[in-house]
Amino acid sequence: MEFLSPATWEEALAAKSERPDAVPIMGGTDVMVEINFDRRRPPALIDLTRVPGLREWRADGDGVRLGAGVPYTGIVDALGGAAPALAAAARSVASPQIRNRGSVGGNLGGASPAGDAHPPLLATDAVVELASVGGVRRVPAREFYLGPRRTARRDDELIAAVLLPAPAGPQRFAKVGTRNAMVIAVVSFALALDARSRTVGTGIGSAGPTPLRAPGAEEFAAAEFDWEGGAPLPESAVHRFGELVAAAARPIDDVRGSAGYRRHALAVLARRALARAAADYREGGARCA
Amino acid sequence: MSEELHEIRLRVNGAEHTATVPARRLLSDCLRQDLGLTGTHVGCEHGVCGACTVRVDGRPTRSCLMFAVSAQGHEITTVEGLAEPDGTLHPVQRAFRECHGLQCGFCTPGFLTVVSAYLEDNPDPTEEEAREAVGGNLCRCTGYQNIVKAVLRAAEIRREEAAAAPGGERAAGAGERR
Amino acid sequence: MATRMFGMPVQRTEDERLITGKGGYLDDLGAGAYAAAFVRSPHAHARVRDIDVTGALDVEGLVAVYTHEDLSGPMAEPLPLLIPHPAILDGRTPYALAKEYVHYVGEPVVMVVARDRYVAEDAVGRIAVDYETLDPVVGIEAAARAERVVHAGMSDNVAAHLVQEVGDARAAIAAAPNRIELDLDIERSACTPMEGRGVYARWDGRDAMLRLYSSTQTASGVRAAVAAKLGLQLGQVEVVVPDVGGGFGVKIVHPWPEELMVPWAARALGHEVKWAEDRREHFTAAAHERAQRQHVTVGFDDEGRLLGLDVDILHDNGAYLPYGIIVPIVTSTQLLGPYKPGAYRVEFRSLYTTTAIVTPYRGAGRPQGVFAMERTMDAIAAHLGMDRADVRAANFIQPEEMPYDQGLLFQDGRPLIYDSGDYPASLEKIKKLVGWDDFTAYRDAARAEGRKVGIGLACYVEGTGPGPYEGGHVQVETSGKVRVATGLTTQGQGHQTALAQIVADELGVPMSDISVTTGDTRRMPYSVGTFASRGAVMSGSAVALAARRLKEKALRIAADALEADAEDLEIVDGRVQVRGTPSAGIELGTVAVLSNPLRYAFDEASKAATQFTGAADYTRPPVAADDEPGLEGTDFYSPLRSTFASGMHAVVVETDPETAEIRILRYCVVHDCGKLVNPLIVEGQVHGGVAQGVAGALYERMEYDSGGQLLNASFMDFLMPYASEVPKVEIDHLETPSPLNPLGIKGAGEAGVIPGAAVIAAAVEDAEGFAITRMPVSPSELFHLRRRFDKGGIAPLPGAYSRTGEANA
Repeated sequence: MEFLSPATWEEALAAKSERPDAVPIMGGTDVMVEINFDRRRPPALIDLTRVPGLREWRADGDGVRLGAGVPYTGIVDALGGAAPALAAAARSVASPQIRNRGSVGGNLGGASPAGDAHPPLLATDAVVELASVGGVRRVPAREFYLGPRRTARRDDELIAAVLLPAPAGPQRFAKVGTRNAMVIAVVSFALALDARSRTVGTGIGSAGPTPLRAPGAEEFAAAEFDWEGGAPLPESAVHRFGELVAAAARPIDDVRGSAGYRRHALAVLARRALARAAADYREGGARCA
Repeated sequence: MSEELHEIRLRVNGAEHTATVPARRLLSDCLRQDLGLTGTHVGCEHGVCGACTVRVDGRPTRSCLMFAVSAQGHEITTVEGLAEPDGTLHPVQRAFRECHGLQCGFCTPGFLTVVSAYLEDNPDPTEEEAREAVGGNLCRCTGYQNIVKAVLRAAEIRREEAAAAPGGERAAGAGERR
Repeated sequence: MATRMFGMPVQRTEDERLITGKGGYLDDLGAGAYAAAFVRSPHAHARVRDIDVTGALDVEGLVAVYTHEDLSGPMAEPLPLLIPHPAILDGRTPYALAKEYVHYVGEPVVMVVARDRYVAEDAVGRIAVDYETLDPVVGIEAAARAERVVHAGMSDNVAAHLVQEVGDARAAIAAAPNRIELDLDIERSACTPMEGRGVYARWDGRDAMLRLYSSTQTASGVRAAVAAKLGLQLGQVEVVVPDVGGGFGVKIVHPWPEELMVPWAARALGHEVKWAEDRREHFTAAAHERAQRQHVTVGFDDEGRLLGLDVDILHDNGAYLPYGIIVPIVTSTQLLGPYKPGAYRVEFRSLYTTTAIVTPYRGAGRPQGVFAMERTMDAIAAHLGMDRADVRAANFIQPEEMPYDQGLLFQDGRPLIYDSGDYPASLEKIKKLVGWDDFTAYRDAARAEGRKVGIGLACYVEGTGPGPYEGGHVQVETSGKVRVATGLTTQGQGHQTALAQIVADELGVPMSDISVTTGDTRRMPYSVGTFASRGAVMSGSAVALAARRLKEKALRIAADALEADAEDLEIVDGRVQVRGTPSAGIELGTVAVLSNPLRYAFDEASKAATQFTGAADYTRPPVAADDEPGLEGTDFYSPLRSTFASGMHAVVVETDPETAEIRILRYCVVHDCGKLVNPLIVEGQVHGGVAQGVAGALYERMEYDSGGQLLNASFMDFLMPYASEVPKVEIDHLETPSPLNPLGIKGAGEAGVIPGAAVIAAAVEDAEGFAITRMPVSPSELFHLRRRFDKGGIAPLPGAYSRTGEANA
């Protein structure tokens, strides 16, 4: 196994261009597990830990540009206001040790359907910044996940950052797991209300071959929601929203839970998220999260 | 068939070490096999159990999910480095003994390193916070009852010592880094 | 008299090294040893057609590759069936390396020895084994149907069949006014210690001696097994058990294939060899437990009293039967708990499946037995509309009925006679601790808020401290330091502290002067092992008896030296002195000097024991005919039969009406293990047991697919609880001393886990209003049960059963 240790971003991009089969590694929380389990023996690794800037975040227009290697701890500490759903997801990641090492970039690179970062990125319409020696390309998260562990990232590209739009309304993240810590979610769900565009965003984790959205549910909620006053939604509407979210999922039976349970739990999470987001909306005034 | 070796320099428990390792050598294996620091234990090799936790630049990190070559340039603290050079045990170590916070002791080094870091940022946790602080480490013996107690007791010891130390209470305050 | 140590919450002497990183676990030893790794079967059932190792041969650092063809003599034969029993019909055991057939995923086929583990695993990856796959047999149902058989030459999968009966249970049930049948199901789990198995061997060719370090629960057992397999005399093998990172039963199995191959290879290569198991190996290739299906038929009167109990058990024993049928025997006998069953009939079949072997896991069959009995008690209460605690009380053996003979043979081959216990007192304590009688009000209030809460109760009796024996050796050095050795091993139970407490009291020496060695055949070759909650009972009693022998000798020698009567002497703080006249005394170290008549002096102290010193009695030889030199005592404790600890757990749970997530709000324990040596340690044992009980009830299962692949062989997918899942445990003690041993103690190691599944099932059932008959129960499963219940597929609980505390609805 070759070990490449670029000192700069340019060197890293050059290395990836020369060795498209090389696997980038930062915190190691995904890649190392696969190597230790012998599920994967990459011919080469690109250690990005020395590359400056990947662990930084900064304001970007109204939103935030989050370096791909910012550990979850950093997101929890710094982005509770700028990216509430993502911060809540980061908070729910595994253990303190994993929060200290794991990052959104790692989640996106591995593209496991159970990655905690995916649903908030989908719900908030975040954008993934991909870079190669040829230049930088920006792909909306909603177009990033193509299939099981397959993404829009080309083999010669590295994930540089994600662009998180400024929240324009309440955001929620929740998951169900049979254990609290370190669990790979049975199902997870993120919701974002956008008062400016009067749209609703959703993201579903662990309930399909890729992270998913529930477009039907989004349109339904956007139409039903009282964007002026945030009046409580009728029970039937909340229920319908849950059904639409569950219908968008494509879960399977596995060790953690049956497909039927996953759909059911997802509907519950979605209902709770919408009802609470509506309450947040009322309490916080129309706009702020 | 042979593999490329890397000369690495590691700073562990305040001392410089060198080792010659292949790129795939895990930090946990390097500490244990190349440096002889067998206090760091390996319980799962997939980052779940936390037994291999060491502090990297102060932050608790699973050493089975880090390559030794990536640890260069970082300050690493293992369980062997928690006590003072004169052998005075770290408050967390004392608390675990006092509260019967360990049985077989295999997972203990991971708990000690995690809690030592946690208390520097959170010197006065509630019971619920203490439970959450150790929420990423598995223990099969204790049912965590006395581990949670030990976290609270360690916090108490730190506060007592800070109060008794010259210069007073500030030493145990939030944000302190060793 | 100095402060009595027995009964005190003494801090553990083990901890200093363990909290400073100075513990010595198996993989911390043998830095220069070669590493072993194994090619393991990827198939649940297959014939090995060919093994091609050529791909591995150019791996730099490879030392050796072994297959079954390289083995000869006893090593080429199947491993021993450790505990033979007449009920075993066809006892199959594996080979050290597979010979022709493999019967579970993970079975070792090829051993690789290399410079280090990374290299060994590289070589493993390049060895090609050609398998002809055969039909897997997974699960109890498939095993019982026997459309496919696990072992060639068998017509079905029944490894053992045993019926025990007291009275005519079927007739009693037929004649009973009330009768219920239950079908119950418990899934597989496993011990899962934080440290896996491991073996490290050193062969000294010049002395023809083998030193074997193993992470085991029995040093003497490993020694005998390895000697027999390697064709060595017992005297050529030393087994030393280092610090062990948890056992919980799995490490009592011996010899493991790896435990034989590692010393065999060390001898063959003339070089140290080590194997430390990784986590995946532990999941697939160690051992599991628990899986059983039970059919219970019970007849009872209108007051809930048992008249007849008939239990039929199907037990999954996995691919082989190296540990015999201890687990189902324990289930079928310990099922009775604190109750008088009326007439009792129990029948079990132990079945082969193409999965990992099944051997004792903490509780060792008791959790399943208690599940059967306590589910039955709850069902009776539901049927009659009685309070669940009252039904239990109606069936208790009363304290004045002790000793109570259940009329069966226990797992140690001795009569199942309870020695002591006070079950009514325990029930009162647990009801008070959990607030049993006030729960109805709490539940009603919770229901009014849309919450679902429930309470459960479960009782157990646990036979602990079975024989045949353990030994103790206590020696006073001339320095006054006391060295204690016992043969059984320790894996976190604090034996070094507890045994030192016992010796400190017996000898009158401070704890700080006592060091304890466990599991080292060089120090105590005669031993059995650590299992069945026997450490404190067996070795505690043995070291107490050994210390008493030593004390007698010390007093005799001191009496001579002090010209006093031995009966007037006492030992206080390491000094033998005349009662009432503490100034007249002699240090125990000096007594040790005097105990060993010397020709040569090597320091000031030893001068006192030389032949020209002091007055000599020329009528006696320096060492009397019936005496021996040295101040030591050795003794063995061999009990008549097991001693029976008991306890009761009560749990309050809340289930989420929507997501079906299950949360434990209260977990209460009343525990009676006789006299407590160290309450700190005993409570720790209870805590850990409860955590494993909760785990087995709500989180952990071994999930095999129909092809025999273990789907969740990692901590990601096998949900071992973290601190967030284990509730706070509230404990109350009762101390009913055992009359069987010198200290009045009973075992405590397993107790906490035993009623876990039963009590949580009871509480979930109470919250939900329908019967829970299958454990563990996950939110996903509870969700599906609710659906079936809503559709009428599950009957609601009858009567007022779910209304605790009320006599009737």
